[in-house]
Order: sequence, then C-alpha cells, then structure tokens
Amino acid sequence: MIHFSNVTKFYERQAAIKNVTFSIEKGEMVFMTGPSGAGKSTLLKIIYLSEKPDEGSVTIAEWDLSKLKESSIPFLRRNIGVVFQDFRLLDNRNVFDNVAIALRIRGMLDSEIQDWVMEILKMVNLRHKADSFPQALSGGEQQRVVIARAIVGEPTILLADEPTGNLDTDTAAGITRLFKEINARGTTVVIATHNRELYRNTGRRVFRIDSGNIVGEEIG
Amino acid sequence: MYLLYSLRLAIQSLWREKWINLLSVLTIAAGLFMITLTFFVVYNIDLATKRLPARFSVMLYLNDGLSEQEAGSIIAQLKKNNAVEQARYIAKDKALEELKGVLKNADYILEGMDENPLPASIEIKLKKESVNIAGVKKVAAEIKKIKGIAEVEYGEQFLNSIHSIKGMAKAGSLSLIIIMSAGVIFVCYSTIKIAFYRRKEEIETFKLLGATRGFIRAPFVIEGSVLGISGGIASAAAAFVFYYVLFYKVTAAIPILKILVFPFETFPALPVAGLLLGIGGAVIALGRIRFS
Ligand SMILES: Nc1ncnc2c1ncn2[C@@H]1O[C@H](COP(=O)(O)OP(=O)(O)OP(=O)(O)O)[C@@H](O)[C@H]1O
Ligand SMILES: [Mg+2]
Repeated sequence: MIHFSNVTKFYERQAAIKNVTFSIEKGEMVFMTGPSGAGKSTLLKIIYLSEKPDEGSVTIAEWDLSKLKESSIPFLRRNIGVVFQDFRLLDNRNVFDNVAIALRIRGMLDSEIQDWVMEILKMVNLRHKADSFPQALSGGEQQRVVIARAIVGEPTILLADEPTGNLDTDTAAGITRLFKEINARGTTVVIATHNRELYRNTGRRVFRIDSGNIVGEEIG
Repeated sequence: MYLLYSLRLAIQSLWREKWINLLSVLTIAAGLFMITLTFFVVYNIDLATKRLPARFSVMLYLNDGLSEQEAGSIIAQLKKNNAVEQARYIAKDKALEELKGVLKNADYILEGMDENPLPASIEIKLKKESVNIAGVKKVAAEIKKIKGIAEVEYGEQFLNSIHSIKGMAKAGSLSLIIIMSAGVIFVCYSTIKIAFYRRKEEIETFKLLGATRGFIRAPFVIEGSVLGISGGIASAAAAFVFYYVLFYKVTAAIPILKILVFPFETFPALPVAGLLLGIGGAVIALGRIRFS
C-alpha cells in the first residue's frame, strides 16, 4: 500500500528524511515512534503529498508519486485521511461543518451527509458539541474533531500524527480502540506517536525513527 | 455537485465583507457607466456619419451654352459610372429660381441683373459605398474627363474633417473603453484577491482534504460574477436615469437633441458585460491553483 524506496527529503540542505526504505502492506496498522524532530511528520507529509521527496521513489496504492499528474492529487488525497499534528481545524466553522467539509469537498449534499457526520461524531464522543466552534473546545476535543474528519470519508489509508497528544489515558485508549476498529474494516493505518501506551502489546510493527533514519523495527 | 456549497461559501464571504464589496460594486458600476456614455457618443457619431451619404452630393457645372440634349448625353454617361446613384439636371433658370428661394426676402441682391449669371449644372448623388475620401476623389477625376463639364465641386474639406472626426472619436472611445474595462477587471481582481488571501489557511486545508481546483475556485468565481453582475445592474440603472433625463427632460429644452439615439440593447448588455469582466477578474486573481 505504501512503499518508500531510498527516500530523502531536505529542508534547506538539512535532511529531515535520509535514504529511507520501507513497505506497509494493505490492511496493516503500523506505528512510527522517535524523538521530537526525528522526521515522523515529514514522513507522513510525503505520504499525503504535502511534501515532495527530493530523492528516491514513493508509491501509494499503485500510484507512483513521481509520475502523478498534479490534477490527480486531490483524488489520491481523498483516499487518505489525515489527523494533522497541528489539527488544521477551520476556526470560523462549527464542529459539524469541520467534519462535513471532508464530504462536501467530494460533492456530497447536506441531506446526504447529515446523519453520517453525526454518526462519526458519536464515535468520537462529540455529538453534543456538533454546534460548538473549535475555540470553545478543549485540546482533546479538538483532536477528536480532527480524527472524526479524517475518518468520515472512509479512506483506504489513515494517517494519524500524534493523535493522542492532548488526550488523557482513558480517552487515548478509546481512540486507539477506534483506530483498531477502522483498521479491522480494512483501512491501512499509520500512527506517528511518542506515546508508548499506544502501541504496547498491540502486536503491530513499530518503526523507530531517529534523525531522519529508520533505526529499528520491533513488534509492539 | 459541490456548486451549491460553493454558492453558500460565496454568499458568506460576500456578506462578511459587505461594505468593501458594495464599494467594489459601485466602482464597477461607475466604470461601466462611463463605458456606456462613451459608447453612446460614438454610436451617435457613427449614426450621423452614416446618414451623411444621403445628403452628400457632387455638383458638376456645365460649360455655358450647352444644349439640353448635350446635357442629356452627359447624364447618360454619368449614369454609366458605377459610383453614381442618381443625377439631376438643373437648368440655368431653375438654378436662379432655387437661389431666389434660398435668398427669400433678400432677393433684391439679384435686382438689376439682366442676364442670369448662374451656369447650368448637374447634381449627382453617389452610392453609399463611394462616399469616402478616396471614392469621391476617384469619381471626381473620372467625371472631369467628360466633355462639357467645366467644373466639379464637392465638399472636400468637409469630407476630410468628417473622416478625421469619425476616426478620432473611434480611436479615442475605443481606448477609453479598453482602459475602463481593464479598470473594472482590476477592481474585481483585487477584491477577489483580498478574499482569497483572507481564506488562504482554509484553502490550504481544503487542498489537503482532497478539494479539486474547481471546488477551490468556484466560490471566488461566483463572488466575482455577483460583483460584476451587481455592478452591471447598477450601471444599467444609472444608464436608464441618464436616458430618461436626456430624452424626456433635456430634449424638452433643446429639441435638436431628439436626433440622438440611445440603443436599448445597452440595458441588458451591461449586466452581461459586468458578469464577464467579473469572472475575468476572479480568474486572473486565482491564477494557477497548485497542490504541491
Ligand atoms: N517546513 C520546514 N522547514 C524547515 N525545516 C523543517 C520543516 N518541517 C520540519 N523541519 C525539520 O525537519 C525535521 C523533522 O521534523 P518533523 O516535523 O518531521 O519531526 P517530528 O518527528 O514530527 O517531530 P515531533 O515529534 O516534534 O512532531 C526537524 O528537524 C524540523 O526542524
Ligand atoms: Mg511531528
């Protein structure tokens, strides 16, 4: 599903990703861990086409990114749900609209999305906050809105960048359960996190990243 | 389709910046109204010069002592000329009569003249296509060769000045219309550019969620269209006031202005022009949408 082959990414001559090679199969759930600044977010950004690799090749679901036409990018992105580390919520829209936008972009009408968005909000325990605006939410609540938006479009790949950074242990556990459920339905899930609790005893692959390299792979 | 949602986004954005947008609409309306006035002026100059050929004539003065038959054969020759529409013989005494008619009460001027001083003449009207500087010159040269014609006279000066007035009016108004149109496009361009920058963050997020170029552009193109059409409608209203005042109030005082014509097509054309310029400005403001 996701293949990196000798991928390098520079930021102002400083390599954030160095000659990285790995493969994630369809239906897998994989963790990326490592210290701050290791390059986890950069790796995910390359997958959702927000950053272009400077060297090496990347294939996402049969699409060779170097050969991808720019006008096809939106359609590839619709298959990738992203929990952004910096949330990227729309401040001037309420929770419902922040989640619904992922479907509106696909051309779906309000009548079609209403129930489905509420369903997803229920999954992240935010049904009662549907009309609130992001500023009026706690950090953890905002994070769950982002998660709801990432999964509402039923993507084939779900990328979560520090999805539990603002959550207490119990809520974090709930989110992990949600990710597992989504993964069980066939979605490939990649989670970048510092939080050991997330991958401990999952039996999933964990990539250890440091200074832009994959320095180890273990089973969580 | 996402257009319904785009429409909603556009309306929200238009409403949020209603005062700036109102200002833009008024500016667009002013620009379009000035274009309308310019167009009105050229349109009437054009009409006036189009009516001209019917009045324009060339006078041929005949040699003295020519018989009617000889004059008749000259007319026959003239009629063979492709450029000539009609030719009318004016005998010596007829010419005098006409002159008396023109002088009316001042005909004492002619008193004491025992001999008619006026020559016989032929007045010719040219076909429409030939009433231009080159055409008239050519015909005049050809006619001069006919035997029995003493002199060919036409308003060369007049023709020249009409021609240059028409040329100047056309060039001047065309450049004014182009500048004004560019101004209207620029107003739409900057209004949309500002709206676009204000929503840059949100657009970046839309892109990451998989929005197409169409989805990103549509609200702004709709905004541009609304600004353009509104400006167009406002200018059409202004044009109507102008029309009403000119043709119902001013003509009452200055009846000669009744010969002016205000083309009614202007009213529906203005909103359409506004729409096109608005869309144009929006499209330029958006430029190329990049995803990476
Ligand atoms: N836009 C950018 N411009 C310049 N340097 C950048 C940019 N984004 C990231 N970097 C650098 O690239 C390196 C990797 O950053 P990245 O965000 O991938 O780290 P991370 O592993 O996600 O860290 P964290 O756990 O703190 O989120 C860091 O040294 C960072 O300073
Ligand atoms: Mg990060």
